[in-house]
Formats: sequence, C-alpha cells, structure tokens
Amino acid sequence: MALPDSAALLQALVSGLLIGALLALAALGLSLVVGIIRVVNLMHGELVVLGAYAAYALVQLTGLNPLLLAPLAALLVALLGWPIERYILQPVARHGAEAPLLTTFALSIILQNLLVFLVGGDTRALDSGLGARRLGTGAVSAPLIYVIAALVALVVCAAVHVLITRSDFGRRIRASAEQPDDAAVVGVAVRRYYALTFMLAAGVSGLGGALLGMVFSFTPAAGVDYLLTGFAVVVLGGVGSVKGTLLGGLGLGVAESLGATVLGDGYRLFIGLVAFLVFLMLRPQGLFGRRT
Amino acid sequence: MYRTRKIVVLVASACVLAACQPKAADEVVIGATIPLSGALAGFGSFQKWGYEHAVAELNAAGGVRIDGNLRKVRLIIRDDRTDANVAAANIDTLVAADHADALLGSCTPPLVVAASLAAERNATPLVTGCAPLQSFTAAKHWQWAWDLFFNEPELAEAPFKAWQELKVASNHRLVILHDNGADGAVVGGRLWPALAAKYGYTVAANLEFPTDTTDFSASVQQARAAGADVLMVDAVTPQMVSIRKQLASAGFTPKLLVMEKGAEPTQFAEAVGTLADGVMVGGYWDASFAYAGAGELAAAFTRDTHHSLSQHIADSYTAARVLLDALASAGSLDKPKVNAAIAATDRVYPVGAVKFAADHTAALGIAELQWQGGQTRVVWPLERKTASFMVPVPVH
Amino acid sequence: MNAARKPLLIAALLGALLYCLPFALGPYWQQLGLRALQWLTLAIAWNLLAGYCGQVSLGTGAFVGLGAYACALSGNQLDAPIPVQLALAGLVAAGFAALASVALFRLRGLYFTVGTLALAEALRILMVNLRTFGGASGVVLRAATPAFHQLYWLALAIAALAVLLAELLLRSPLSLSLRAVRDDEDVALQMGVRSFRVKFGVFVLAAFLMGLAGGLQALKLGVIEPYGAYGMSWTIDTVAVVIIGGLGTRMGPLLGTLIYVALSEALRNLPELHGAVAGVFLLLAIRFAPRGLWSLVARRPAHG
Repeated sequence: MALPDSAALLQALVSGLLIGALLALAALGLSLVVGIIRVVNLMHGELVVLGAYAAYALVQLTGLNPLLLAPLAALLVALLGWPIERYILQPVARHGAEAPLLTTFALSIILQNLLVFLVGGDTRALDSGLGARRLGTGAVSAPLIYVIAALVALVVCAAVHVLITRSDFGRRIRASAEQPDDAAVVGVAVRRYYALTFMLAAGVSGLGGALLGMVFSFTPAAGVDYLLTGFAVVVLGGVGSVKGTLLGGLGLGVAESLGATVLGDGYRLFIGLVAFLVFLMLRPQGLFGRRT
Repeated sequence: MYRTRKIVVLVASACVLAACQPKAADEVVIGATIPLSGALAGFGSFQKWGYEHAVAELNAAGGVRIDGNLRKVRLIIRDDRTDANVAAANIDTLVAADHADALLGSCTPPLVVAASLAAERNATPLVTGCAPLQSFTAAKHWQWAWDLFFNEPELAEAPFKAWQELKVASNHRLVILHDNGADGAVVGGRLWPALAAKYGYTVAANLEFPTDTTDFSASVQQARAAGADVLMVDAVTPQMVSIRKQLASAGFTPKLLVMEKGAEPTQFAEAVGTLADGVMVGGYWDASFAYAGAGELAAAFTRDTHHSLSQHIADSYTAARVLLDALASAGSLDKPKVNAAIAATDRVYPVGAVKFAADHTAALGIAELQWQGGQTRVVWPLERKTASFMVPVPVH
Repeated sequence: MNAARKPLLIAALLGALLYCLPFALGPYWQQLGLRALQWLTLAIAWNLLAGYCGQVSLGTGAFVGLGAYACALSGNQLDAPIPVQLALAGLVAAGFAALASVALFRLRGLYFTVGTLALAEALRILMVNLRTFGGASGVVLRAATPAFHQLYWLALAIAALAVLLAELLLRSPLSLSLRAVRDDEDVALQMGVRSFRVKFGVFVLAAFLMGLAGGLQALKLGVIEPYGAYGMSWTIDTVAVVIIGGLGTRMGPLLGTLIYVALSEALRNLPELHGAVAGVFLLLAIRFAPRGLWSLVARRPAHG
C-alpha cells in the first residue's frame, strides 16, 4: 500500500463527506428506534435494503427514474413499519430486554430469506440515468449522483430534526421516550407514538437504501453491513440526536474513505467496525448517556 | 413426561418421512450443484441449460443402456447459492438422499473444489467445467473428480499475444485489479505481472480486493492516477459491473480494458449497457468454432431461451455429455467402472477435443473475445476472428 | 444411590446406541447425525453463555471460523494428527475469546450483544483480506478427509464432551454465580460474586466448544474459506436451536436440535424457505413460548 498523494487524499475526503451524508441518512432510522423506542433494532439493515428493492420494483413497474420513485419506495417501507412495531415488537417488550432484540434478529432473517426467495440473490443496482456525469474539476470531482444523494440526505436529516425538536408530534415522541409513564398519564398514546416513530425510522431507512442502491449495488445479504455501519454512526454521534447522527455519518464516511485509500477498499467496513467498538468501549455512560 | 415422548416421536417420524425418497428402480440419477442464486447466478443459468439439454437429448433418444436395459436419466439440480458450504452439503444430499449415481459440478474454484471434495468423500464420479485447471489441481490429487476447462497461464497470456499480433499501440503501462479469490489471485497476482515483464509492459499498480467489495473508489482513483493505457481486471460479475460503472463515474476510460471472468456472461453487458463495448475477455468457445455440434448447440439455446449466447452452455453441455457417454460406455452404474470410463474419454465435443490427462484435467483452447454492440466477437486468434479489434475503448 | 445412577445409565445407553448408529444405518443418517451433533454442541455452548449466564452473544461465527482455520492450518503446517488438530481448534477459539473478553465485557447487556456481532464481522473481513490465511480462497486441507463414520464418532465425542462440561458446570457451586450474574449483575457484584471471572470463564468455555465444532467442520469439508467459516448462518442456527428448544434449560438444546434438524430436512428441497421458516419459528417461540418449547411440554416447570 503506497501512501497516496495530497490530491488523492483530498479526493478521498470529498467522496468521504458525500458518502458520509448518505450513511447518516441510512443510520438515522436506527438512531430513532434505539433512542426513542429503546429497542436494539437488528433488522435495521434489512429495512435499508428493502428500500432499494422497493425502488427497484417500482422502476420495473413504472419505468420511471429511481430518483423520482425513491420517496414512494420510502413510503412503502414506512408502511411496513407500523405492523412490525405494533403487532410484533410491542407484545414481546414485556418478556425482558433480550426479547425485542432477538425478535428483530428473527425478523431480519425472515426478511432476508424472503427477499432471496422472491427476487433471487443476484446483485442489482438502480440506474439513476446520471451515469458518468461529474461535478468539479479534474483532480477533485465527484459523480453527480453522489452529490444529489448527499443533498437529499442533508435535507431529509434537517427535516427530521425540525420535526422532532419543534413540532407537536416531536414533543410527544420525545415524551414517550423519556418518560413513557408520565406521558401516558397526560394522554399521550405511547404505543401509537412508538409505532409512528418506527414508521418514520423505517421510511428514512428505506429512502437511504434507495439512494444507496443508485450509488452502489445491493443484494439481499447487504443488510448486515448497513446495520453495523448504522451502529458505528449512532455510537459516534449519539442516539436519538439527528445532528449527532449526521456528524457521526460524515465522520465515519471520511474515516472509511481515507482508510480505504491507505489500506485498500476491502477494509472499508473494517474501519467502521473498529471505530464502533472503540467508541462503544470508551463511552462509560453507554449509548444513552445515562445508566440503563 | 408422556407429552415429551410424544413430541420426540413426532419429531423423529417427521425426520424419517422427510428422509424417505424412494428411487425409481429403472432410473439413472445424475445430481448437479449449481449457483442458481447469489453472485454467480449469471454463470449458473447457462450451466443449468447445458446440463438439462444434454439429459433431454439423451432421454429423447431413448435413454442410456445400463446392464442391458434402456433407462431414462433423471437430472436433479440443487442450488448452492454461491456458497461453498452449501455446495458440499448439496453433494452429500444428492448422493445420500437423492441416490445420485454420478455428479455434475458447480462453477468457479471455491464451489467446484468444495463440491469435488465432497464427491471424493462419497466416492462418486463428478465431472465439471467452469474451474480453471491450475486452481483445480492445486487443491488435491483427484480420484473421482474431473475438470474440463482452460489453463490459467493460457488465459492470462491471451490478451498480450492478441495485442502483439494485432500490433496494438499503447504506452505499455499497465494497472492490474483483481479479487483475492483462488483464480483472481493467481491470474492477477502472479501471472499477469510475470507476463507483463515478458511482453515489455510496466505494471504501474497491482491492487487486490476481497470478493464482496461494493465500493471501488480508492482502487479506481489509484488506477486513474497511475496514467496507464491498459487496465486488466479479474473479478466476478457483480463486482465487474460495479467496477465498470465506477470507472465511468470517475471519468477514467483506459485505452485497453481486459475484464476477465466476470465480464463474460451476458448479464454483464445487460447490466452496463454500452459501457461493455471494447471490453476484452478470454473465452474458450464461440458459436463460430468448427467443432462437431457447436452450431447446433447455439441454435438450440437461442431457440429455447431467446437469450444471448454464452460460452458456458458449451462446457456444461460437454461435461454432461462426457458423463452420460461414460455411463453408456461402462454400461453399468458401478461407480468405479463409470469413473474408469470417464478416464478413457477421447472425443471431440461441441466445446472441443476432450481427453483427460493423468491429473484429471482436460484443457480447452483460449480465444480472446471482445464485447461489441451487446455481443461477444472473437478478435484473436486471427484465423478464428469474427470481427475487427475495437480500440480504444469508446468513452460514453 | 439409584436415583443418582439412573441418568448416568440412561446417558451411557444413549451414548452406546449413538455410537453404533453407523453400523446399522447408511450414510444419510450418519450425515444427519453429524449435523445434529454439531448443532447440539453449539447449542449447549451458547445456552451456557446466554441462557445461564445472560450474555447474549451473536458472534458464534467468529469462534467456529477460528476453530476451522486452526484445525486446517495445524494439519497443513504441522502435520498434526486429528485429536491435536481439534484440540488446537478449541484452544485457539478459547484464546481469542479470552483476549476479546477484556474489551467485550466492558459492554453490558444489549451493547455486549451488538459488540459481539461487530467483532465477528470484523474478524470475517480481516480473514477475507489477509493473504497469509489464504484470503478469499481459504485453505485446502492436505490430509485426506476422514471417512464419514469417523467424522460421526468425532462429532459424538465432541458433543459428549459438551454435555459433560455443561453438566459439571451446572452441578457445581459456580452455577449459582452464573445465574446471579444473569439475573442482576450489579446485585451479584454487591453480593461478592466476581462477575468478570464468571463471565470470562463461561465465555472461554463456550468459545472452546464452538471452536471444536468449527474444527470438525473443517475436517468434514476438506476446504474452508472465510465466508462459510465465519458466516452468520452459524449464529442464526445456534440461536434458533436454543430459543426454540428452551433458553436456559437443560433439555432445551437437545429438543431444539431435534426440531431444527427435522425442519431442515423437511425443507430440504426448498432451501430458500428454510431460512424464512426458521426465522418464523424463532419469532413464534419468543412470542408464545419465551422459555422455549421444553417449557411447554415438560410437566414440571422448567427449572434452569
């Protein structure tokens, strides 16, 4: 591995930031579920991949550009989120802390295998039609699709941030997260808000997946990578905090990109995992910022 | 405790029932493990057709004569999902539960070696294509497994020979990009660098990546920065598609582009569209080759499936034919006899002349193909060419 | 005296019966038996760790893979005989567990779980990338694959060892410390239980058994590569077997193994559905039989 020159490093930095924004979007759903519903959602990666497959199916159905269909794909994944949270996850919450975790584990297995069964295990990609169009000068440039995806990710993150911090809905969600019993007393339908939060998380994940499907390729088994990257982002940036998730995503994207430039593309996820493990161990207060 | 016992009995019975697979007394069973899903599904679909076509042809002609009686052949295909563990398990299941009399193999060294080892363990003959010979012989001293395919050194040298004979001009700077699988490491890691030295090319960069990489940004950047006219890649189809697209995204189109292994199936051209034009890939068969039955095979495939041709129909059809011919020649289902009959194979099939050497391999000759307008054309050797060489690789 | 001898007698009889299986039944049943015994070993190990000690690990693949590689490499490089290969397989896996514990046990509960998942994936990626261990092509075992009935007996021996070690542990005073850590680690600490040592011990023991299973897999396949050796399917199968059978119960691993084997044979011709159905079983088990199917069938309340 030769040490790259400054132009290559700058290029890696730019790519890293762009991909990082997209990673943040893909991790946002996990951040919401872990932070608000307090469930370690092991099927998060499958929700992301499902977004890519939903977009693929819509493209096959309508022939439209996946960029236009991405919001619809996200909506489809969001709709799937309601019954999962309300009827599969909530009933097992009373069996202890591991039960929801293992349930999401089971769901991830089911989803992955269903995808293989329904559409096959082949690698697919979404064609945004932007192909080779680039933005920028010779030495430092980025594919146009990276830039568009990153912009969409930033906009959506901002929107979710505003929703959670400033709206009525957001207040109720935060109440359900921080003091579920008190919230219930004042009339907040905690279970309903958990389900709505899961829907939001699923939708955001699906959107991230659809965009990732346009930038990279995907298979039914790609979920594990997005799950672990999601965890890395969440631990770096903080649970439940949209700003934190965005910063974590950008940071991880840059770290992975620089690391790949130095060590090789194969080590991309490895760096994320090491970062995740190290940070997890260094935070004495754990993920939530207080004793669980 | 009675309820427990009941449950255990139920469970055991379920096992037994599931296990009972009666074998029709007058059938010959051939088992095959193929990647019908996963990264190699592109190759698998052609293998499936090749095997099925050979068996269907034989059954239409009446079947195979075993112990004096004409018997039909039943082909059982199991999907190994591009997973070596599953390939091995499939072989075990095919022999023990499906009562396979002989076996046909999978594609690419990891799967083929795993399946062949399982066949050895089950002392059942297995004929396969789709596994480069050096990676096959490097694994084991085979007794029951037989491989007909090309030799990696020949494949690796073909592009260099082609450029020399076609008198292609370039700056003789070369970047190599390869996966770290068995043949990727051999071809990209060892053979190409050595051949580059022999033919006077400088290797500006030699980059390796694991087989499940999706993001090649770093490798692509390095390749671009090396200022080479020639890029040679060895990877499986999904990675090849990503690499070709990311090369275009990065605005880097080398003058000469060789994409070994992964760029060969039609799925590659379907996925990248016009980006396939100009890509060179080594091939061991084309419908234009003058071997007995080659043309008919191509016609049958196009008629059956209306898909574009792939050379994999030829080696898979031939592997099945070799096995069926050995069964006919042995006239018996006795596995050692069938094995000996395979060893005695010496015939010209649609893919070429097949005669196994002492190390259980039969080498197929190499030609250099190039994607042009959605189809592969033979550009080398010159006496077999079906189109002119396209250079440089067009920029889209 | 008789009451204590009876389970021993039953175990001995069962052992003898299982030993004779290859003489009576053909290769199909031997294969089935081999798979069942492998899963049983993994299930017992994971059950000790997650069921009795409360540490839910999703990193089974890491230890199976390490065991497989240790077995293969020791056979190739050192020409070690099979018992030594297997012993090394277990020891290497246990050694890695010991090293990782220092870091992993800083994480509690759910974070430990996610941490083990991340660790297993990281190890897999490392093994895929490192050429020294063969990279993606893996390692081919030079020695000839043992005959099937020999593999079966090895699996039987390993499973018997797993049962023995588990029983010894659960009948010792340590078992109380295990359960104390599982039920409430902070309270256990306050009561003087050295929770780190307890967790460390069980983790290393479980890893040892998983490594043995991995070594067996290497011997059986004759070739190993990182995707299969370190794959998630080991974790999925192990978790499913134990949860369905009964987490934290004595008979859970056995019952779960029988059901899982039956399930996988019934779905033999529909491999894509196998995973989905296993997941559904797991889901139903968590929801409706949180103490596993064993708790549903046993007359007495499942004591664990």
